[in-house]
Amino acid sequence: MKVKHSLALALSAALMFSGPAGAAKASKAKEKPAPCLIAGWENPPSVCASHTKVIAATCFICHGPNGKSSTAIPSLAGQEKAYFITAMKEFKEGKREATVMKKYALGYTDEEYEAMGEFFAKVK
Amino acid sequence: MAIDRRDFLKYAGAGFATTLAGLAIPRTAFAKKGKPKVVIVGAGFGGATCAKYLRKWDSNVEVTLIEANDKFYSCPLSNWVVGGMLTMKDLTKSYKGLLKYGVKMVHDRVVGIDTDKRTVSTQRGSKIPYDHVVLAPGIDFMTDLIEGYDEALAAGKITHAWKAGPQTTLLRQQLEAMPDGGVFVISSPARPQRCVSGPYERASLAAHYFKQKKPKSKIILLDADVDIISKGPMYRQAWKTMYPGMIDYRPNNRAVRVDTKNMTVITEFEDVKGDVLNIIPRGRAGDICAMAGVRNDTAGIWCPVNGVTYESPKVPFVHILGDSVATNMPKSAHVSNNQGKICAAALVEIFNGREPDPYPVIGSTSYSATSDHTSGPIAVVMRYDPDKEAYIRQPGGGASEEGDELNFEYMKSWAENIWADTLG
Repeated sequence: MKVKHSLALALSAALMFSGPAGAAKASKAKEKPAPCLIAGWENPPSVCASHTKVIAATCFICHGPNGKSSTAIPSLAGQEKAYFITAMKEFKEGKREATVMKKYALGYTDEEYEAMGEFFAKVK
Repeated sequence: MAIDRRDFLKYAGAGFATTLAGLAIPRTAFAKKGKPKVVIVGAGFGGATCAKYLRKWDSNVEVTLIEANDKFYSCPLSNWVVGGMLTMKDLTKSYKGLLKYGVKMVHDRVVGIDTDKRTVSTQRGSKIPYDHVVLAPGIDFMTDLIEGYDEALAAGKITHAWKAGPQTTLLRQQLEAMPDGGVFVISSPARPQRCVSGPYERASLAAHYFKQKKPKSKIILLDADVDIISKGPMYRQAWKTMYPGMIDYRPNNRAVRVDTKNMTVITEFEDVKGDVLNIIPRGRAGDICAMAGVRNDTAGIWCPVNGVTYESPKVPFVHILGDSVATNMPKSAHVSNNQGKICAAALVEIFNGREPDPYPVIGSTSYSATSDHTSGPIAVVMRYDPDKEAYIRQPGGGASEEGDELNFEYMKSWAENIWADTLG
């Protein structure tokens, strides 16, 4: 799986040489920032950043913009990361009572719980 | 296959294909022109969300949002108006919140798109250039499938009330004017359609109203589909316990003609007379999608998209969001909002010369009320698989078997929060 992905990395990196923005990126790429995982696949950090931004924003739909809810559904903004991750794991395992959260927890990975937990912990 | 699935070309559309061919590079052209221009057509849950998040995530992007209506009318909760629990005023929202993000809002109607020159023409005579255009028009109706439909609708004899607004209010007024002992006929089209659970919720909330005010009345629900296709157990339970004998559910019963002289819906099998006729026609992607040449699935009804960027695979630089998309996702407000964010994030990555996320994830929650104090959700998570070029439903999703009071509270809460998230 990972081999497959590094090929993609090379392909997109090659494409990036085409433009000035790409050239700047390519020189940075030499430093080889540690790849991150999405659903078991290695990715450049920018892809994971974008992925996290969007999956966190998915939560906003029910939990309010930036995770700030003004209604019966609880806020996520400012929650401790460890608490968030534990809650998701408990939802997934059915240890914590839920209406829809078990269904959601089953759809995301441990890495994503981490990333979302980190995101919401930083929201003031 | 030799080529990797994250074959970047597929996601980036014609811009990158051109790069490979060694021709001019539209992506870098942005740098010369300064700011990438995105024009979004339609400010519903998909379009408004995409506009807001494009600006939030990259303030360098110029976003013009074109919407014919001055105000936002929420389809979610509009069955509450039918049931007398709210009025349309409660579901009418301002677009002003989007202005603080720097979204340029234009209230006008789009009358044409030139996908070669990349311009959008409006009724008032503007010609607005774009680098990428996002079409989020919601649905239009295939009224020609039901004989007599257009005339009956124009005369105000029937309603669809499947786009919230004056239609919703008219249906409510007709139900209020109906005598006790009257018959309310709802005709529901086959899927795929916007809000598959909506017709059953509508029957439930009309029954809730009749139970209070007109207990001798009946509801006949003519369903073109074979069964209650969403939250079936919840509705059956609600109808049996709260509205026994009131809702007559008739599946496999597609409307083909309406006769307003005799207030009759003619289906493939029977003639059904009613005092109030609510006939929901089959939907298809908004006509603007046809203008852009992207309403091109095999039946010419919905718009296929690339699951990473929501760009049409046929017409470069044209993206489609929401109910118009050809997809296995529910056609819900939740999905439209979520697609708006995925599209916005992908565009921001492309504008900045980076790879868009090849694995987007979509969540959909939709609540349906069965009375003025009970509701139940359905929730599903879908993950994009670039190999299969499809969103795959994750295990564990599904619907509640029963409506309850907690979920009724959550339904209200969900609505408040999605309005806030979509509109600023």
